[in-house]
Amino acid sequence: MGNKQTIFTPEQLDTYQDCTFFTRKEILRLFHRYRDLAPQLVPDDYTNKPDVKIPYELIGSMPELKDNPFRQRIAEVFSEDGDGNMTLDDFLDMFSVLSEMAPRDLKAYYAFKIYDFNNDDYICKSDLEKTLNKLTRNELTPEEVCLVCEKVIDEADVDNDGKLSLEDFQHMIVRAPDFLSTFHIRI
Amino acid sequence: MHRIEAGAGDSDYDTHPFGTDVMWQTNASVLRHRGHEEQTWTETFPPTRENALENNWVDMWLQNENRPIKDLYCSMQRKIEIRRKQERKMKKKTGLESWKEEKGRSWRKFRRKMSVVLQHLILWKGSLQTIGGQFGTGIQSYFTFLRFLVLLNFVTFLLVAGFIVIPSIAFNELGLNQTVSHSPNNSKCFEYNPNPQGLERFYVFIMNILMGTGFMEWTYMFYGYYKKTSVNFSNFSYNVPLAYLVTTLAYFLLSLLWTVIRSVQGFKQSLITDDSSVNNYTDKVLAAWDFCIKDEKIITLKQRSIRYELKVDLEEEKIKRLHAQRTICQRAGIYSVRILLNLIVIALLCGAFYCIYRSTQESQLLLALESVKGNFILELLAGYLPSIVITAANFILPLLFNITIKWEQYILSVEIRLTLVRCVFLRLASLGMLLYSLWNNITCGDTENKTPCDNCGYNYVENKCWETRVGQEMYKLLIFDFLTVLVMILLVDFPRKMIVDHCSCKLVQLWGQQEFVVPQFVLDIIYGQTVCWIGTFFCPLLPLLNTVKYFIIFYMKRLTLFSNCRPADRTFRASNANFFFLLVLLLGLAISWVPVLYSIFVMTPSKPCGPFRDQAFIWDTISMAVESLPKVARNFFEFIASQAFAIPLFFFSCIVMFYLMALGSSYGKLVKTLKDQLQMERSRKILLNQAYQ
Repeated sequence: MGNKQTIFTPEQLDTYQDCTFFTRKEILRLFHRYRDLAPQLVPDDYTNKPDVKIPYELIGSMPELKDNPFRQRIAEVFSEDGDGNMTLDDFLDMFSVLSEMAPRDLKAYYAFKIYDFNNDDYICKSDLEKTLNKLTRNELTPEEVCLVCEKVIDEADVDNDGKLSLEDFQHMIVRAPDFLSTFHIRI
Repeated sequence: MHRIEAGAGDSDYDTHPFGTDVMWQTNASVLRHRGHEEQTWTETFPPTRENALENNWVDMWLQNENRPIKDLYCSMQRKIEIRRKQERKMKKKTGLESWKEEKGRSWRKFRRKMSVVLQHLILWKGSLQTIGGQFGTGIQSYFTFLRFLVLLNFVTFLLVAGFIVIPSIAFNELGLNQTVSHSPNNSKCFEYNPNPQGLERFYVFIMNILMGTGFMEWTYMFYGYYKKTSVNFSNFSYNVPLAYLVTTLAYFLLSLLWTVIRSVQGFKQSLITDDSSVNNYTDKVLAAWDFCIKDEKIITLKQRSIRYELKVDLEEEKIKRLHAQRTICQRAGIYSVRILLNLIVIALLCGAFYCIYRSTQESQLLLALESVKGNFILELLAGYLPSIVITAANFILPLLFNITIKWEQYILSVEIRLTLVRCVFLRLASLGMLLYSLWNNITCGDTENKTPCDNCGYNYVENKCWETRVGQEMYKLLIFDFLTVLVMILLVDFPRKMIVDHCSCKLVQLWGQQEFVVPQFVLDIIYGQTVCWIGTFFCPLLPLLNTVKYFIIFYMKRLTLFSNCRPADRTFRASNANFFFLLVLLLGLAISWVPVLYSIFVMTPSKPCGPFRDQAFIWDTISMAVESLPKVARNFFEFIASQAFAIPLFFFSCIVMFYLMALGSSYGKLVKTLKDQLQMERSRKILLNQAYQ
């Protein structure tokens, strides 16, 4: 790709390169992916920062997300108003955090937010039950779900309040060696 | 998004809001942040997307931790604002500081560009990404390991070609001065002419290629063809035997360093995750979902496998409780069954080793028979007998191990590990047995009649050029291993898939598609690599063959993965793999050193062939080269080789090792103390919260 593109100003591209883990080429490629979701909504020219949001239904239909059981939570966490409708900034932020170059603590923070279904800044038992059901397609019996959730809280809860705070979660992530490579979406 | 209502005690007891990094650190910057500056943002802890991270704190964090803006936990808008403020501040800075900032920025841009360029050079990057996306990181780790070995073999080949093969070819073509070996007394030891006389039939040609005999024996492929060339121009001298020896040591060292560097990463990780069973459930629920996977079918399979694993874990808990309640009678029964089965396993292993030992001798005897010599198939079978026996043992015995371990009644994770350890032992020990029987044959250790070895120092009657014989055996092992993999893929995997797809009878569906069993496949390629390391000294072009072999295996395995296989029921964890298999690879490397070093230091080199003829030992080349150095260098090398240096060095290494062990254990204690302290602080926070309400 040469230097001739009219979508962003050079300052905008520089800003995006500083604020995400993507190179110039990848940012332009991501912009085209964003635009392809709703060509009639998204203008071709972002130099004057238009305020455009793509609704959640279209975001959730992307091939990278369409079968992911957590796609709704991912979109809600990264969208500005928490309802899943994303601007280009949110879109770039989402894939930047989920790229392979993001550091462990940043990923752990967002993973915590994704698993926190009721947004109370703690992963409580009901959050764990919802996570487990999404992971196993509701195919575990309720007793098994209860048992596993209790075991998870037993293992990870350091301050003994019956739910996982962000610190408990990050403490646990330190000892999960595969986390960096699994909390990752390639686009 | 909600705020947390901060209790009154919060400001004193909050830790670093961004959590801790991989290593537990109480570094100065964290300590500096405790205190008054924190209070402005603790009210909004944890930072939410709408609430701004207070500016002072953000600036301090960015500067002291030296992290870029992209690491901040906030929305893109906020990051852009922070960046704009930083730019404005930078403009106000003095000349020197702004110059430093400019340099830092352009250096970052340069590094970005370089990393983009380097990404293009990575071999098979797209393939690995697709495999990881479809099947998960566990299976991807197998292919990454394969790629590492392809590169290692290729670099070894470059070393060998650059320093041994190409100079030999050049000196040969130029007809340069070559020292010829004299044969005064033992003229019998010097007869050696592997070149075929007269015209040959076509099948003999194929036979020679497959067995490395005939015309192949007298080529650059094998040790025997290299001559004791030593060239001495005015300003350039090159000693081929010395180069041969030094290159051997160099590529062994290179393999060791490269493997160790790769395994250090995995080792560090396994130190942090001290006990994987402690975090078993949290790992499986909160940290195991592979977000990479796109294919709906694979996602369904993955969900099913998570469900299966959780069920198995819950079962194991029940079984553990049952086991704990066993009476003494039951325990005695179980232990006696286990001892019996272990004896059976040992007996099976001994049986396999005996078969391997006999097969080398039988192979030679059969090849000398007249009835075998004329028949193509029989001769091929006789020549490949050791390879066939090893492959058969490595195929049948693991199946038997799988059966016996069910009766030993261990829990599942112990079962898997024990079977793996037994398979590793089987593979490496069977190779060791083959080498032992080969060396026994060459040094007449097995017969009472030692006359074949009297004249020439080795078994001249059966092997005129014993190094080439060893090289041929390794060559045959490599080819047979390659053929086995191809046959398994083409004649077993594909038909199995077709049968399962088209035949709907229950038995067949139960059998199911082939599982991509990563541990067994990794052991296969480690075995192949060990064979290559042993054989390179005796067959210098073996690394090239190995590179091509692994290259083709990559594509074949990828083909069979996508067409025929389903992911295994139990997820294979990449992190375990990386460390354990590199460790086994190092074990293979250690085993491969033994025969090579034994040949260099103890055995008599062949008289009629190779670059070390005429010498008593291969190592004499180095001694002679050292003697030709100036006095200072000579004294230095003699000192290093003497005991006055070796013994103090040994003691010094011991002291350093004990010091590091003490350091490691004291860090472990420190970590435990800090964890306990953290827990205490948190409980205190809760108590205070409750007290204030």
